[in-house]
Amino acid sequence: MYKLHLILKYLRKRRIAWVSLAAVMLCTTMVLVVISVMGGWLRMFTASFQGLSGEVIVSARYPSGFPYYQEMAERIEQLPGVGPGGVVPVIRTFGLINIGNLKGDGVQVIGYPIDRIGAVNAFPQSLWRQHKRYLEALDKGELTETERYALGLKQREGERWPSFVPPLETEEKATPLTDAERRRLQELAEQGLANPSYALPYPDLVYETAARFASPRAPDAYVKSAPRWAGMIAGIGVIEIHRDERGRLIGRSDDLYQLPVKLTVMAIDPGGVTVDLRNKSERPYWIVDDSHTGVWQYDANTVYVPFEILQQDLNMAGVPDATDEAGNPAPVPPRTSELHIRVADGHDMNAVRDQVRSIVLEVYRQHGMSERTAPNVQTWRDTQAVFLNAIEKEKLLVTILFCIISLVAVFLIFCIFYMIVVEKTRDIGIIKAVGATREGVASIFLGYGLAIGLVGAGLGLLLAWLIVSNINELHAWLGRVFHLQIWDPQVYAFDTIPSTMDPVEVAWIMAVAVVSSVLGSLIPALRAASLEPIEALRYE
Amino acid sequence: MSQTTEQSASRAPTASKVILQAQGLAKHFVMGESVIHVLKGVDLAVREGEFVAIEGRSGSGKSTLLHIMGALDDADSGTLMFDGRDLLGASGRERSRIRNTEFGFVFQFYHLLPELNVTENVLISAMVQHGWLAYMRQRAQLRQRAKDILAELGLGHRLRHRPQQLSGGERQRVAIARALMNQPKVLFADEPTGNLDSETGRQIMDVLETLHREHKQTIIMVTHDRALAREADRVLVLNNGRLEKAQ
Repeated sequence: MYKLHLILKYLRKRRIAWVSLAAVMLCTTMVLVVISVMGGWLRMFTASFQGLSGEVIVSARYPSGFPYYQEMAERIEQLPGVGPGGVVPVIRTFGLINIGNLKGDGVQVIGYPIDRIGAVNAFPQSLWRQHKRYLEALDKGELTETERYALGLKQREGERWPSFVPPLETEEKATPLTDAERRRLQELAEQGLANPSYALPYPDLVYETAARFASPRAPDAYVKSAPRWAGMIAGIGVIEIHRDERGRLIGRSDDLYQLPVKLTVMAIDPGGVTVDLRNKSERPYWIVDDSHTGVWQYDANTVYVPFEILQQDLNMAGVPDATDEAGNPAPVPPRTSELHIRVADGHDMNAVRDQVRSIVLEVYRQHGMSERTAPNVQTWRDTQAVFLNAIEKEKLLVTILFCIISLVAVFLIFCIFYMIVVEKTRDIGIIKAVGATREGVASIFLGYGLAIGLVGAGLGLLLAWLIVSNINELHAWLGRVFHLQIWDPQVYAFDTIPSTMDPVEVAWIMAVAVVSSVLGSLIPALRAASLEPIEALRYE
Repeated sequence: MSQTTEQSASRAPTASKVILQAQGLAKHFVMGESVIHVLKGVDLAVREGEFVAIEGRSGSGKSTLLHIMGALDDADSGTLMFDGRDLLGASGRERSRIRNTEFGFVFQFYHLLPELNVTENVLISAMVQHGWLAYMRQRAQLRQRAKDILAELGLGHRLRHRPQQLSGGERQRVAIARALMNQPKVLFADEPTGNLDSETGRQIMDVLETLHREHKQTIIMVTHDRALAREADRVLVLNNGRLEKAQ
């Protein structure tokens, strides 16, 4: 009992011990914040990049793509580790866009078969209009009347189309969602996820807006063709949706989805890598949705268009009835840039990759093509290996560095405890004189170290949690006040700083902090225990 | 003075059993290159309920003798029996237990724990004696006992004060209360008045005498003050490393 009593007394009365407590707290906070950000970054990176591609990717060695992908896909789908629908072709190229004569830019253009892409990656989850806004509304828990109309929870009498974003001047009072509204929002979110599309949300609208952009030379033709234009999904950065200083996404307006976009792409000759200017393709699109994957490189400059249209524009659709010079049928097969393959649960990604590689090579051999030109087959990890390994190594390096720094805390505790033991030598004599054993005295100081470790690590966890959970706000605040931008999305790939803590990592760091504190107090505790009572009582 | 000793001796409970017996206790200290033989074969038998004073000049080794008898220090040779048990041969744990439950100590410099208040200082020996659960079960009784002892020693109004808020005499009374908390068989007092003025010293001696007289407390006190020593049942003088009867 006396041990606990004295530990609590010393903890409260010996202010010098608070220095060691602060050291433990700060070290714990420092390591937790760094590991959480680095680990969170790695987790975010892993999740996002895995979400952006299939688990196994067949990718062309040439910008002109590779042929016979349908044959490959059919055979790959027969693999037990893949299954039907598990292979989706994707085209990747570069292009120029002109958004409603307001913005022109070079972009990465990805051709996704939108109805199938959800089977191999998480792209549909990144779509605002078709999925995310319902979830955000659900999270918010309350909506204004206008927002209810915008989300399709209510219909206005005689209205041709609801606007999907409430006007900014609206200052209506928000009311909580009803259970029926919650169910409906969940339903709509799931619907969008299950059936993503490039369809125009409100076709009636385009006649009016297209007219504004019509060429003066042929306005009627332009307006008439407008409803037939394909839909394009734009990365949020392309259409200038960005984060404000509080980290909120702003810039989405009704106008966005009413702007015609002209996309120019260049076909590349499959015989080589030359660009023929006659193969330039210009096509008008409507922006039908925006995608926020969280990966800056994608969100800042990528647009997504229908696979078949892009394939056609890039002269990759093939010519089934082509003939050779002698007039014999020589069909040109369609091509794609990539095949994204989903690996079924419980199957080894690397084993599936090897099986896919055999199929790809076999198809190439069967068509008398050189295996050397066959596309690469990699897992998503292989494609990001350089980056992932670099982050993992960096995390390890930072952990080691902080462990070394934490040794300073151990040394500090050792010094402070040694000082306390020297200062308390006479008290140790008194405690021994009234019957305390060596073990008892040692456990007072070890317990004291343990208490400092527990309280310090606990406070450190609290502080770290506060910092990590508000790290983006803190970063924005630093930016506002000191004009500091520590987290550059161009460097770190994400537009927000990771703000999650891994319970296992937290448990480890806390355990190390507590053990370090006990270790720091070990030698002083042993010294205190070894003091003879009478020597201690005589100590001046 | 010898008359006083005889008078005191007459108060000694001669019929009671010997509770602490030392034979041939020797102790030396090495100071640099010189060896000082402080105790050169001390023989002493203390009976239950007896008040023995050991007198001697400063540096004569009387405190060393008290510490050895109180299991706070080791002797080089000799035997020391307490209640039939060999104290010098006992394990560290056993000696700790005896110090806690059978012995009580009062030191010249009080030796109170500065972080604890008066009641907690008195309770510390009970806290050492009991584990956490046992202590919590008896907490109310133990606190009451500590308060009773303190009240008896005239400190009922100082229960929550810290040692540094007390006078020297009050501190020493707290030390006596701590020594009595576990109802020791032997109370060791090492120059209990050595740090006090004569009037306060007198009050402390009165406390010890009362304990001895009314509670039959066995007390072994060392002092260099001959006048105080004469108040004990038996006065011994430590001279040249050996105990002699006071003249």
